[in-house]
Amino acid sequence: MGDPVDGPVDGPVIGPLPPGGRRVLVHVGAPKTGTSFVQDVLWLNRHSLAEQGFLYPAERFDEHFLAALDLLELPWGGLERQAVGAWDRLAERVRAWQGTAVVSHEILATATRQQVRRALESFGDAEVHVVLSARDLVRQIPAEWQENVKHRRTVGYGEFLDRITDPHRTGELASWFWGVQEVPDVLDRWGGTLPPERVHLVTVPKPGAPRDLLWQRFASVLGLDASALAPETNRSNASLGVPETALIRRINERVNNGVLRNEDYRELVRELLAHRTLSLRTGSPRLGLPPDVRTWAVDLSEEWIEVLTERGYDVRGDLDELRPDRIAPAFSDPDDPDRDDLADAAVEAVVTLLDEVARLQGTERRLAEDLEAAYVELERSRSLRFRAKRRLVLEADRRRALALALAAYRRLRRSSSRSA
Amino acid sequence: MSRVVYLHVGAPKTGTTYLQDRLAHNQAALRRRGVHYPIGLHASHFRPALDVLQQPWGGLQVDVDGEWDALAARVRRLTGRVVISHEILAAAKPVQVRRVMAGLRDSEVHIVYSARDLARQIPAEWQEGVKHQRKVAFGSFLRQVQDAKRVKPTLWFWRVQSLPDVLSRWSQGLSPDRVHLVTVPQTGAPRDELWERYCRAFGIDPAWAPEESERENVSIGAAETYLLRKLNRRLRQAGLPSEDYRRLVRELVVHQTLAQRPNMTRVTLPPAAHGWAEEVAEEWVEWVRGSGIDVVGDVDELRPLPAEDERWVNPDRPRRLEMVEAAVDALVALTLEAARRPDPHEQIGARIGRAARRLLPR
Amino acid sequence: MTYLQDVWSWQQHLRSGGSTSWREWLLTDRTGVAVPAGWSEPGAAQLEVVRRLALRRLGGPGSEDRPGAFADLADLVTSRSGPGRGLGQQPLAWGPEGTGSGHPGEGDPLSGRFPASTATSRRHRVGAPPVDPAEVPLEELVRVGVGALTELLLDPGAPPDGDRHSRRRAPAFGRMTGTAPFLLDGAPVTVSAVRQALAAAGHSKPGAASGVVLLAEPFDQALAQAWSARVQHGSPARWAGFVARWSGRLELPRSADLPTLARTWADRVGAAQVHVVVATGGVQEASRVAAEVLGLRTGRRATPSRQHGTAALPPAGVDVARRVNAVLGVRVAPPEREAALRRLVRTLPAGPARMALTVPGRFQARVLERAERLATAVREGGYPVHGSPGALVPGFSGLPTRPDLQDTLEVVLATCLGLARRPRSEGAVSGG
Repeated sequence: MGDPVDGPVDGPVIGPLPPGGRRVLVHVGAPKTGTSFVQDVLWLNRHSLAEQGFLYPAERFDEHFLAALDLLELPWGGLERQAVGAWDRLAERVRAWQGTAVVSHEILATATRQQVRRALESFGDAEVHVVLSARDLVRQIPAEWQENVKHRRTVGYGEFLDRITDPHRTGELASWFWGVQEVPDVLDRWGGTLPPERVHLVTVPKPGAPRDLLWQRFASVLGLDASALAPETNRSNASLGVPETALIRRINERVNNGVLRNEDYRELVRELLAHRTLSLRTGSPRLGLPPDVRTWAVDLSEEWIEVLTERGYDVRGDLDELRPDRIAPAFSDPDDPDRDDLADAAVEAVVTLLDEVARLQGTERRLAEDLEAAYVELERSRSLRFRAKRRLVLEADRRRALALALAAYRRLRRSSSRSA
Repeated sequence: MSRVVYLHVGAPKTGTTYLQDRLAHNQAALRRRGVHYPIGLHASHFRPALDVLQQPWGGLQVDVDGEWDALAARVRRLTGRVVISHEILAAAKPVQVRRVMAGLRDSEVHIVYSARDLARQIPAEWQEGVKHQRKVAFGSFLRQVQDAKRVKPTLWFWRVQSLPDVLSRWSQGLSPDRVHLVTVPQTGAPRDELWERYCRAFGIDPAWAPEESERENVSIGAAETYLLRKLNRRLRQAGLPSEDYRRLVRELVVHQTLAQRPNMTRVTLPPAAHGWAEEVAEEWVEWVRGSGIDVVGDVDELRPLPAEDERWVNPDRPRRLEMVEAAVDALVALTLEAARRPDPHEQIGARIGRAARRLLPR
Repeated sequence: MTYLQDVWSWQQHLRSGGSTSWREWLLTDRTGVAVPAGWSEPGAAQLEVVRRLALRRLGGPGSEDRPGAFADLADLVTSRSGPGRGLGQQPLAWGPEGTGSGHPGEGDPLSGRFPASTATSRRHRVGAPPVDPAEVPLEELVRVGVGALTELLLDPGAPPDGDRHSRRRAPAFGRMTGTAPFLLDGAPVTVSAVRQALAAAGHSKPGAASGVVLLAEPFDQALAQAWSARVQHGSPARWAGFVARWSGRLELPRSADLPTLARTWADRVGAAQVHVVVATGGVQEASRVAAEVLGLRTGRRATPSRQHGTAALPPAGVDVARRVNAVLGVRVAPPEREAALRRLVRTLPAGPARMALTVPGRFQARVLERAERLATAVREGGYPVHGSPGALVPGFSGLPTRPDLQDTLEVVLATCLGLARRPRSEGAVSGG
């Protein structure tokens, strides 16, 4: 590691590059704090950024996710097989870069001390900075449960809350939750060996703040010109209302146990139903916290703020923003949702699926007709033999190219929903 | 006369689908016994019956001109017993009945009409409508039925279900012993009872048609029907083509999914309407007794059973949770159907490739 | 003494082969401990795994150890964390604030609950809750152990151990089975065991009769063997998940789908030539029947190697293998994955062909119904059946419904010790 950074820590720039000319910023989370947004901006602008000496080392947009799976040795529904060696490849590019490099994925937050050590050592002589973006717990808890549900889990909200509020944190669910959400602990694991001014905490503004304020904060940490990179990405992790989430959970109960394959679940339930249909429904009650859990979360937030104040990290934004709002909206329980709302959401979902199935069947029918026509042509060609045969083989190859393109497109669409 | 024609004219929702399917399955076996069920290449007598009625059918633009005459001509070439069966014939106007009879004038014609009590028919007809993308509420449907005239009716329901009216129209000029009323047994009767009654009416030994039918016009519960109505409304907005509606909604969602749900809450007549239904039944029973026609079964089966003890569930306000459960079932079925679709491009490209390569010189 | 000093000193004690528990360690007299700079403390689970290894080593053949082998193994375990999902890495429960180390007679040395490394964290409840290492859940010990085991399997410095021997013999066996003079199919572990028994008895070429023998096991056993076979081919599926997945589908794993298997063979050789041998009488009995049915002649005896076919592993052995598969999947590319898995299967303890495992209770009704249908299909399929098809319907009684976690841990520890004992090249132990 190089020497502590000179220069202002509150200003828009972290400071001049260290003597070795290498710096790496590791953005480790947390989920649901605008991480996918930042990743999209970096991905879409990676070429122009590179010209300015700023590296976002990625050949594919989920490269950092794969690298994180590798570092954490984390199975992810088979996806991890594409992750073999991904961290070392990423680190190699960071080491070879003169200037600033960024690594960003929200599941990195769960890394143990040993994994952090491996990660930091893999960056060679680059000056390491750790960045964590954080949002208040009262907004994070429901968001985490919703992510659970969208990843085909069936745990009820009440049970989820019971598990995460249990101080013993037994079980994977609680361990994962705290692994990504416990801000002081994440920063201790990742930044324990770094001077505090190289640990940057970006707080997520309260609702009602200017839309691009969060982006400005990120940009100030990364040392980028916020206005030059127009943050125009269409990927937003839209949230679901109470009845919509309850509906997805009910679907999960029915399609688990091998009934629906993972890729079909991703495409049909998560993408088509959750993201493209149910998240568009407005007017449903939003997910919140029941009063007792809210009180607990507010107290815990106070403790965190105290710890974080003492640690002296570089805060972009304001620690006050981690303090939940005083006013609590009425709590609507997703374990016992309004039946009418639930029924409406269900009908909406059925209609969407009917449409999709009809569309798929239509495509299939049209192709079957094409096939029929091709067979007819084939019959005719028996007399013409060679020329027609050649043409059909070419036609088949053209179709296969089309098929490959389609498959690639689908893969891309599926993976766009990958996140922690 | 060497030919007896049994003309089964309805009513709808009296096990006609099962009957027609079983006759079709056993067509050859029955022919060996001199019993003909002349459907030709079609699945039923729907087209000739529609030709008789001379009316459009649910958006279906079918050309059925001449279908009845063709059937009549075919019947005239047969000897022995002939069964013609379609439930929409019940709606025929007197002039149309005369046309039918004229086509069969050199045969001994028997009219067969099957009937079931109103407490079961009204919910069944309503549900059938909903399954054909109608969205009328049960309450409005019931009111329409109660308010409409039952003599010389204009409402479709009564045109096919008003027993005295249908039989008056169809039995013109026939002696009562050639008019047969088959009553549908009440719930709890042996499975084959209705089929055996039909056989008795047609003069067939049930053993001549041993192969059973799988087809049954299934019914769904109150919550499921409500879900379907909601869907119909939304699908109209979404503009789902009627061919897709038939295949996906009626077949996949209703028949294969919703109808299989256990413990459904049945759609029943509200207790308040029972008195009225009993009065109508009383009229029918009187009419049947006075007419002297042949009753296969028991005329008292036309009286509705007393309302059940359990609290009546309004089909227009079913238990929401049941409806949600039904919707989730439908969602799962549809999701699986969507997931079942293979990648068509890949498949077809490969198939063409294989076919073409077969022809290439090795 | 600080928390870090205590942890450091205990770690040193353990890596030298000591097996004193943490609780007792805090009661011993320990002074002048200097924690080296740059050392980061392991979690409770890692240190406890080292202690269990030390305990187990004392009871086993420790004398063959290469010098430093155990310390290397201990360093491997503490340098990496458990792979995959699990509990957060927990610190060790440590003496109450202010009393320093717990001296003998001062009450419970573990009464302080939150002894994490920074001052503020100690006052506030931040981080995973501390735990007495002796109380770390077995699942966590297994997870940490599996991480180390995988590392040992991937160790590039390790010699190719005993398999040089069997590799030389492999072609002979391959010639015998590769040309398939007789055909066995069905429950994969039983098939391999019967094949070996036949080879060992010198049976080779068929005489006048020829055909196919389908070795049938009770349906739950057939599923368990199918699971074992899948795992031995790289699947990371856990037993309950494997059963759940198949119970939600219409089709079955190929080897457990007896009617389809029989039909497929009947299409090729005729139904009369497909012999269903109900193998509930054990491998010897099934081998006798198979030899008789196939009209096998006695010939040159061969000693087949375990590495061919599906090895007979106890449920805990399969459980270890599936856990290792999950880690291998994210660690290395397919060829190395297969090599490491083959190495593991050779190293794991052998079990009887019949696995002591049945399906979890919630699947039993469905499995029973399915098994009855299979039995009926076999009975009515027109194949010669040797034994009672009724025996294909499982009884479930008394059999465990999942691998025992304690057994799994024992297998992990024993396998780690076995692999670590061999000589290894310098620098083979990599940090994390």
